[in-house]
Amino acid sequence: MKKLFAALFVVLMAVQAHAQDKSLLDRARTEGKASFYANITAIEPILKAFSADTGVKAEYTRISTSKFVATAITEFEAGKLMADVVQAPLPVLDLLKARGVLASYRSPAAAGYPDWTKKDDRIQLFGIEYVALIYNKERVKAADVPKRYEDLTLPKWKDKIVMANPANHATTISWLIGLKENVFKSEADWRKFLAGLAANKPMFVASFGPTPAPIESGEKLIGISMPKYIVTKAPAPLDWARVSQPMMGTPRAIAVTSKAPHPAAARAFVDYWLSKKSMDILAKDVGEYVLAPGVYPPIDGISKAKVIAIRELSDDEIQKWGAEFKKIFDVK
Amino acid sequence: MDHTRSSKLTWLLIAIVGALTVCPVLMLVLGSFSEGLTAFGDFTTDKYVEVYTDPAFFEVMLNTTIFVLGSSTLSTVLAVFLAYLNTRTDIPFKFLFKIISIIPMMIPHLLFSVSWALLLNPSNGLINLGLMEAFSLDNAPFNIYSMWGMILIEGLLDLPIAYLIIAPAMASFDVALEESSRVSGASSWRTLFRITLPVLRPAILAAFILGVVRSLASFAVPSVIGMPGRVQVLATHLYEMIATGFATDYGKAAALGMSVLVASVTLIVVYRALTAESEKYVTIAGRGFRPTVIELGKARMPLFFVVGVLSFVLIVLPVAVLLYTSFVPYSMVPSARAFSMMSLKHWHDVLSDPISLLSLKNSLFLAVVGATLGVILSIFVAYVIVKVKTRASGVLDSLSYLSFSFPGIVIGVGFMWFFVQTPLYATIWALLLGYIATYLPYGIRPMSSAFIQIHSHLEESSLVCGASPLTTMRRIIVPLLVPGIVSGWILMASMFVRELTLSVVLSRPGTEVLAVQILRFSEDGLWGRLSALGIVMIGISTALVVTATLIGNRFRTV
Amino acid sequence: MDIRIRGVSKYYYSEGKTIKALDDVNLTIPANQIFTLLGPSGCGKTTLLRCIVGLEMPDTGEISIGDDVVWSKDRNISVPPEKRGLGMVFQTYAIWPHMTVFDNVAYPLQVRGAAKDRIRESVAKTLRFVQLEGFEGRPATKLSGGQQQRVALARALVAEPRVILFDEPLSNLDAKLREETRKELRAFLGKLQITAVYVTHDRVEALALSDSIAVMRSGQIIEIGTPKKIYFDADHRFVADFIGRANLVKARVRGVEGGYTMVDCGLGVIACQQRDVAVGSEATLCIRPEFIRIVGGEAPAAKNLVNGRIESLVFVGEAYEAEIRVGDEQLLAKIDPDAKLDEGDAVSFTLDPAHCLLVAV
Repeated sequence: MKKLFAALFVVLMAVQAHAQDKSLLDRARTEGKASFYANITAIEPILKAFSADTGVKAEYTRISTSKFVATAITEFEAGKLMADVVQAPLPVLDLLKARGVLASYRSPAAAGYPDWTKKDDRIQLFGIEYVALIYNKERVKAADVPKRYEDLTLPKWKDKIVMANPANHATTISWLIGLKENVFKSEADWRKFLAGLAANKPMFVASFGPTPAPIESGEKLIGISMPKYIVTKAPAPLDWARVSQPMMGTPRAIAVTSKAPHPAAARAFVDYWLSKKSMDILAKDVGEYVLAPGVYPPIDGISKAKVIAIRELSDDEIQKWGAEFKKIFDVK
Repeated sequence: MDHTRSSKLTWLLIAIVGALTVCPVLMLVLGSFSEGLTAFGDFTTDKYVEVYTDPAFFEVMLNTTIFVLGSSTLSTVLAVFLAYLNTRTDIPFKFLFKIISIIPMMIPHLLFSVSWALLLNPSNGLINLGLMEAFSLDNAPFNIYSMWGMILIEGLLDLPIAYLIIAPAMASFDVALEESSRVSGASSWRTLFRITLPVLRPAILAAFILGVVRSLASFAVPSVIGMPGRVQVLATHLYEMIATGFATDYGKAAALGMSVLVASVTLIVVYRALTAESEKYVTIAGRGFRPTVIELGKARMPLFFVVGVLSFVLIVLPVAVLLYTSFVPYSMVPSARAFSMMSLKHWHDVLSDPISLLSLKNSLFLAVVGATLGVILSIFVAYVIVKVKTRASGVLDSLSYLSFSFPGIVIGVGFMWFFVQTPLYATIWALLLGYIATYLPYGIRPMSSAFIQIHSHLEESSLVCGASPLTTMRRIIVPLLVPGIVSGWILMASMFVRELTLSVVLSRPGTEVLAVQILRFSEDGLWGRLSALGIVMIGISTALVVTATLIGNRFRTV
Repeated sequence: MDIRIRGVSKYYYSEGKTIKALDDVNLTIPANQIFTLLGPSGCGKTTLLRCIVGLEMPDTGEISIGDDVVWSKDRNISVPPEKRGLGMVFQTYAIWPHMTVFDNVAYPLQVRGAAKDRIRESVAKTLRFVQLEGFEGRPATKLSGGQQQRVALARALVAEPRVILFDEPLSNLDAKLREETRKELRAFLGKLQITAVYVTHDRVEALALSDSIAVMRSGQIIEIGTPKKIYFDADHRFVADFIGRANLVKARVRGVEGGYTMVDCGLGVIACQQRDVAVGSEATLCIRPEFIRIVGGEAPAAKNLVNGRIESLVFVGEAYEAEIRVGDEQLLAKIDPDAKLDEGDAVSFTLDPAHCLLVAV
């Protein structure tokens, strides 16, 4: 009897959810479009699919991380925030939340996501900007591929490494701290690793974007970069080092804005975004590591890898460590 | 023009240019003194204290000074050299000069820098590999990732601006001045250094100062060449300030930018003082002038060889690298395998992408309309700066440089803070106005060096003939200014086609532009698509430049 | 159309100092005359011309052309140059290099919106007048200096202005061309019956062209008169000196005798054109070189006979220029080229009292 009630309850809820869903979509269609500010790139296929499936237009404004908070807050305070939905690294959305930019919304589509991705009633995590050691598989022999992060300090990699500037590239700074907290046993071990890496004189570039090109062309052999390039830059001879330790990255988050010009369309968009279909596109086309259960990018071995989210770091912490890394790496 | 009218015009222009350039800078000033992350907050000087007590500041300033002076000297010297050869000597294939002067302006600076890194990086740079092979060296002879590499690339990138300012002045130079020097017994060289260059001082200084201001604000070269070389200059220092962390404090960046602004405005004032007696330099007086040509004799072919090498280095190499990159599937060193893998995939991706196509349309609109409006405004501003010469016109001159001399990453935010207070925000008109305001000196500089060459009698006689000042502008001044107008239009239009720093902050869905699209590709590391779109961009600029030159020639009847 | 200038001053400020370019100028330029402003460079003549035409704004005073006040400081009137209906020929000609001869000349009519037919007719007529028929299609820069000068004149004349102004229009021509053009100009202007204001620092030009000459110095008008009056009968030493070469001799007035004013000077007692000067006062005796007449052989007892010695003799083509020493004075004289004289010879000469001018010290 109890079971029956439970089943009935579930059915009723589902019907209700469906009805709600339907009325939400109707309202979204009346509103006509959803405006989306994001730092993630190459997501046009999802937007296209969203429009095709729902009849609601999606407008995508790409804003880089360094301009995200400034842009959103400036517009918000002037009463001109056009975004219905915002997507950015978690710390950015936290900053926006603190200023009242985000609305409360729990998307039913996030139902199957792990609990830790439901940060609070406003922010939903859906992916991890995962970082790995990416190498040129034509020029690095299988035996030489690092098996642990510590292998990067081997002298054979001297002048062969490319990485984003650890003095100022927030994701790289976070990643290095993530190593300290999740990988190395002691801070001394971690510092030894940093010193060894610095001694190998890695070439610094401004961000992850310019990291794969020197690896592809053979100017460098290995880099601290993102596995998604293996997908987006195919058939470039890139592969990732399957190290024994976990992969790490900063979580990607999404939320609805509190003064969204198209509130229903905003919610419909987030629902769609978190659906398995969208996450499939994100993983397949762009090589993103997503948190929807069972969805993996088409990169050999990734589905078995352990990918963890790095603890959220405050700006003060990032800047402090940036300055520290600047000294350690003797970044002139 | 009488004084009441010209002072009315001066104040009108101060109001227009001021509204365009002061507002964003004012917002940045507010932001730099406000607590918090926007333009409005409680007053504080903490940001200044923090920025200027940074222990890295001194070294950054030293590097910046070397970089900026080095690259502007390089670009000015090269521009004088090329302009002189082109306008005053019998060097063959003069059309090459026009191309040298313009093509590099159309190549997005990011791509140009990346191309050079591909050629001269110490690991597998093509030139280095070639030289190591040829001379059986153990180490790469060149390392582009260094201060000299930065100076070289930035100097080459700023060469077109310098050339477009110096060449018209050189072309309308009264030869009698040189001839009298030769007759007085001075050699060609002596004449060049004692007469020609001093008389051309306003144009040369203008080119140099524009180079200084530009390289101060430049980001592509410091980030692509300087960062791997670990040479930190102001632009990368600023970037570090902005990029480290998520709650980016542009007020702090603005506080640092203020020193660049002060330096630039000081330079402009110095420039005005040095060229105060511009009457001295008037050379076209309605008497007609005949440019005589200096025969290079034996030096003709060696000099042409130099020009040939320069044009190869400036145009052929980077464009070839771009073309190559757009065909190969990923970044590869040229090899038989690379050529066998070439395809049109990147081209197809770019040309079937609706946003790329929309951005193409928008950029074209902004270039044509923006450059035209910008040039019209520049004509009036240059007129007041050169011909009216009151204290107010000096103010106007400095105003016109205001947003131009701010580092690009920061001024974009200034414009955002400003436009968000207006209904123009997020429209294409915000981009249009922002472009014109920021790049006004590109219109004003060539125009004012052209103005300096026009004797005031030509204008006065039109007034006496009964023509109103506007008719005089339209029928006398503008046609005489055609070379300057064409230069200004070309500079502005090709700048607008590849404008990035403002666009990346102000462009919104529907107002995407080419450079933002290119940046997106670069952030995703998609060099192939980036190169394909870059070539499309160069194609558009070329079409604009050719059209402008043809139209200019039609108006130039003498 | 006459031009009246009342109390016009113009100041420039330079390095904290005030320079008076025009200093309370009062002047009436009569209608239909060729009126020349003559003076050394920096005397303010061009500034005055530019004030009349409207390219400069005086700081005080009033200017009217015919019945129209075109500038008045007190009444706050300022007619811009294009509304003054004048014609002007610039020192540089200001021929627009991007236009043909036709377009240059037609311009004043075009900007007034005249009908195409009338423009063509007037331009043809004016070009014929300045003897440039058939040059219509030429680019303006492909002309000789003299031709450009005539284009500038045609342009100034074509709209039949009330007044035509010339700012040193001949100074860019070579000597021979200058002389020819001057004659032509005189002929053109003679036929036109137009008020012409002409600025020059060349006294020959001024004398040859003008109906009246105003001599200026330091922003002020010193003297106005016909060429002959200015040349032969100047009231001021500066004018006499500036308008032609002159021997200036210090003199003291003795009195009046038989219609002549008699003076004591380094040449002895000289009878001069009568002047109203107080007996015993100082004056300057001005003798032009061409009026020193050498007396050959036996010297007849004539008025103003002076003896001297030739110090130098220079052949200049149409004459000898001789320096003659008389006591402490040295005089420049023009002597017939066939005179048989040598340096060191003693000579006697006479001075026609009509050409012995007494001017203020």
